[in-house]
Amino acid sequence: MLDLLAYDFMQRSLLAAAMVGGLCSVIGVFVVLRGLAFVGAGTSHAAFAGVALGYLMGWPPLLLAIVFGLATVWITGWVEERGRMKLDVSIGILYTTTMALGILFIGLMKTYNAEVYGYLFGSVLSVTPEELHTIGALSVLVLGLLLLFAKELYFIAFDQEMAEASGVPARQIFFLLLTLVALTVVISLKTVGAILVFAMILIPASTAYQLTHSLTALTLYSATIGILTSVSGVMISALWDVPSGPAIVLLATTVFFISVFLSPKRLRRLHLVHSN
Amino acid sequence: MSDPREPIIRFDHASFGFPGLIALKDISLAIYEGEFVGVIGPNGSGKTTLCRAVLGLLPPIEGHLRIFDCACDELRCHHRAKIGYLPQKGVVDRNFPVTVLETVMMGRYGALGLFKRPGRKDHDIALEALVQVGMESHKDNALGQLSGGQQQRVFIARALAQQPKVLILDEPTTGLDITTQHNVIELVQHLHDELKLTVLLITHDINMIRSRVDRLVLLKTRLFAAAPPAEVLKPEILHQVYGKELVIAEKDLVIVEDYHHHH
Repeated sequence: MLDLLAYDFMQRSLLAAAMVGGLCSVIGVFVVLRGLAFVGAGTSHAAFAGVALGYLMGWPPLLLAIVFGLATVWITGWVEERGRMKLDVSIGILYTTTMALGILFIGLMKTYNAEVYGYLFGSVLSVTPEELHTIGALSVLVLGLLLLFAKELYFIAFDQEMAEASGVPARQIFFLLLTLVALTVVISLKTVGAILVFAMILIPASTAYQLTHSLTALTLYSATIGILTSVSGVMISALWDVPSGPAIVLLATTVFFISVFLSPKRLRRLHLVHSN
Repeated sequence: MSDPREPIIRFDHASFGFPGLIALKDISLAIYEGEFVGVIGPNGSGKTTLCRAVLGLLPPIEGHLRIFDCACDELRCHHRAKIGYLPQKGVVDRNFPVTVLETVMMGRYGALGLFKRPGRKDHDIALEALVQVGMESHKDNALGQLSGGQQQRVFIARALAQQPKVLILDEPTTGLDITTQHNVIELVQHLHDELKLTVLLITHDINMIRSRVDRLVLLKTRLFAAAPPAEVLKPEILHQVYGKELVIAEKDLVIVEDYHHHH
């Protein structure tokens, strides 16, 4: 196993997995607490449509992924804010529409393009040095903004109206969160793929949710679980020659079910039921 | 009769809602610093709308609303931080993974402004707010593990951590048992007396507050009365709003037909 670590591609993959795992799991805390789980799913499919259009037209795929991702979250946020439509309905419509566009763009390519499918299913073992730099730069940007606005983000996740009433610019912070979700999805496309990135946002935060009642601890647990499962998933992928995306996500899911079983919250509830 | 004091909140022929769906119409009302005001009225009468307006979340579609001598759409974050708010029960997810102290610390965030981390001073203010509501021994407990009454106390502490001038409580006793309801109202009265806060208390429980408030504001889309309780709780005024004949019987307010039914 140590031999593998000597390879450049393996070092790049592990670094990319650690960054993406950490980033997804930290933003996942706010996504889970604010009830934006479906937004993550919709954005990843929208970003994939952007990638497909990029390859079809010969334009930079990541740039178009960002445009599609941002357009989706901003439209969704705007529609919710106006009270025109429930968030899950608007994101459901955009989710399926952008997926249809993605399939259409692939169909229009006429020839099979393995790179596009790499964005759909994830291929962390083929991350290039340039892609690693992009992932690194965007991760620093997103994590920096999350840290800078952490207290406001926690507050709007708790109660947006109360936050606004207390003097927090809640509306702007909500749109910042949506923007950071879209950027995180785009950063993670190459590593875990459009279909599975949503799991990386949701599962580590949901696992941590089982283990603690504190916001600070929740974030730290989620980041640790996200980084460890991503790095371990890549190692499993390389050792057993299985696709990296599913390896990471299935490992994270296993940890999630163990945490549900061992959850102090669940054990306390069981104790209360038995003592009554 | 004109009041020599300057109002802290002033509605001037203000209407709220959307064209075609007016929640509050033509409200003219001044609330003065240090007043304890009870806001009553039937369901859908616009009580929560009034509350959201005073929070600066809902500008009037007609007329004017001034809070701290600012038009409400000019209200800046540091003004809003001066208004502590306890929302209706059920609005906030009570199982949110947060400790009592973390919840109260959120009250400091608006006053701190962007880019600033809460420091020792904010921590001390939050702890002091917990002492004021008698919940300091629960500071490290999970919010979701507390009883309904304890959670209300924590939310009041969160509002106090803003070091507000005005405290708005939207039906703070709903869903609580009678003893806990009494304790929460006692706490609000105590905070009003001790901290000289201006309090706006929205409630359906007229009996619980009528001996405590300076004025009662009676709403049903329009403002029917804003006067001391004895002047508002008159059968002819209450009948206009509640559509039933209501009288003050001995100490309690009862619906006459129910009173006859039971006696």
